[in-house]
Amino acid sequence: MQYRSKYIGYAALLLGVLSLFAASCKKDGYALPKPSDKLQNEAIKRTLGPNIVGQPIEFAYAMAILPSKGKLVSCTAEASIAGAAGTYMDNRSYYTDVTGTDVGVTVGSPSVTSGATTTVTYTADTSAATLRYFYVIPEEARGKSVTIKFTAKSSNGETISTTMGPYTITRMDMRLNMKLSNKNMMYISIGDSTVYDSAGAAAHAGNIDLVYLYRNLTTSAFNHALVAPAADTTYLPGVLLPPGVNRTAKLLKVFNLQDHNLAPTEQYGGTFIDDVDFQKLDLTGDPNYAINLKQGAGVWVETADGKYRAYIYFNAVATAGTATVSMKRYTLTNGK
Amino acid sequence: MKYIAIALIVLLAACTWAACSKSVPVDEDGLLITTRRDCFVSSFELLGTDYVSVRSGAATIDTTAQTVKVTVLFGSDLKHLYPQFSLAQDCKLNPKITGFVDFSDTLNPKKWTVISGDRQVKKEYSVILSVQHR
Repeated sequence: MQYRSKYIGYAALLLGVLSLFAASCKKDGYALPKPSDKLQNEAIKRTLGPNIVGQPIEFAYAMAILPSKGKLVSCTAEASIAGAAGTYMDNRSYYTDVTGTDVGVTVGSPSVTSGATTTVTYTADTSAATLRYFYVIPEEARGKSVTIKFTAKSSNGETISTTMGPYTITRMDMRLNMKLSNKNMMYISIGDSTVYDSAGAAAHAGNIDLVYLYRNLTTSAFNHALVAPAADTTYLPGVLLPPGVNRTAKLLKVFNLQDHNLAPTEQYGGTFIDDVDFQKLDLTGDPNYAINLKQGAGVWVETADGKYRAYIYFNAVATAGTATVSMKRYTLTNGK
Repeated sequence: MKYIAIALIVLLAACTWAACSKSVPVDEDGLLITTRRDCFVSSFELLGTDYVSVRSGAATIDTTAQTVKVTVLFGSDLKHLYPQFSLAQDCKLNPKITGFVDFSDTLNPKKWTVISGDRQVKKEYSVILSVQHR
């Protein structure tokens, strides 16, 4: 009797454990989600990095309604600050083919921009589409915030909206692919964002911050250099400065800081220089020259009057004494 | 029987305490103090603000005179150089290098003390800089 009781106890325990396992493995029932019968929308920002004046911010705006309820009529993007020339909405809806290529299908008339509003009117009989909106940042938005309100309308009279942002527009600006050449286009004005030759430098003497030169010396690695006009003449060998070109600057040499805006094709250019980098930059005690610069090198600069900070990136150099540089420039206000 | 049990408990506690107590000495930096008495600089590097070497040639290390002589490239920013020492095994350096160092006063070379693994031998090295001519 005692053995039978123990046997029953063990059996009950085993049954309990098995039941527990069975219960834990049981899948919850799944039901297909029921689609909303209302007009729906969703937006994403496709552009990464800082929002720079003159550059576009790209959005993808998706809208859809059940075919039985209606079709799409129009799509509107309204910016809080009107976009600059070039702002538009693509009238094609994209899908990705098997090769990974985005293929556009025209679904509406070309966009019409009036003030801050850009509209595409649908011409295709469609109930779902994703349109891309390119907002070119205007000068008026510098240092401010921008929001974009997307609105879709359907044939059954429904309207739906979503607002993206606010997005802070940087104070810095950008100049790409400036050509420098030894003994010719060699005078850089950060304030003017321009490169001058000797005559131009003489005409804008007070604005010249840097001199580009290339020297292939056998005794030292001079090579490509950016030197402030006021630097010791040992760093300006053979340079006869135009009259009045005498400003100094502070320079800090770096390497492999490949800003994605300045060097979009660089393999490791996943870094973005933003306003905050210029705000935190401290060039106290730095020299007024940077020599032996190579492709991939960069130079942080602060002008003598403390008005500008800049980052100049060397996209390409050649031993013929030429270089292609790109620059991000930040205008300081009250030292910040 | 009761006394044997108490004795066993006491023995177990003693063994546990002995197992947990540290027998390996560490210094104030949490570094292991070993028995090694080697105390020298084995190699030396100097980087610029771009973290690229500014040496124009290999550094000359004199372990007798306790000097490191290095010539830097023309145009190097002497106020912002990043020295890197390789030391004998288990040694450490004082003061610690935490960032760029100002070497612009070439008449008064910067000095670092190498401390041996047993922390008993200390040797002060001078880093003497010269600049390559243009």
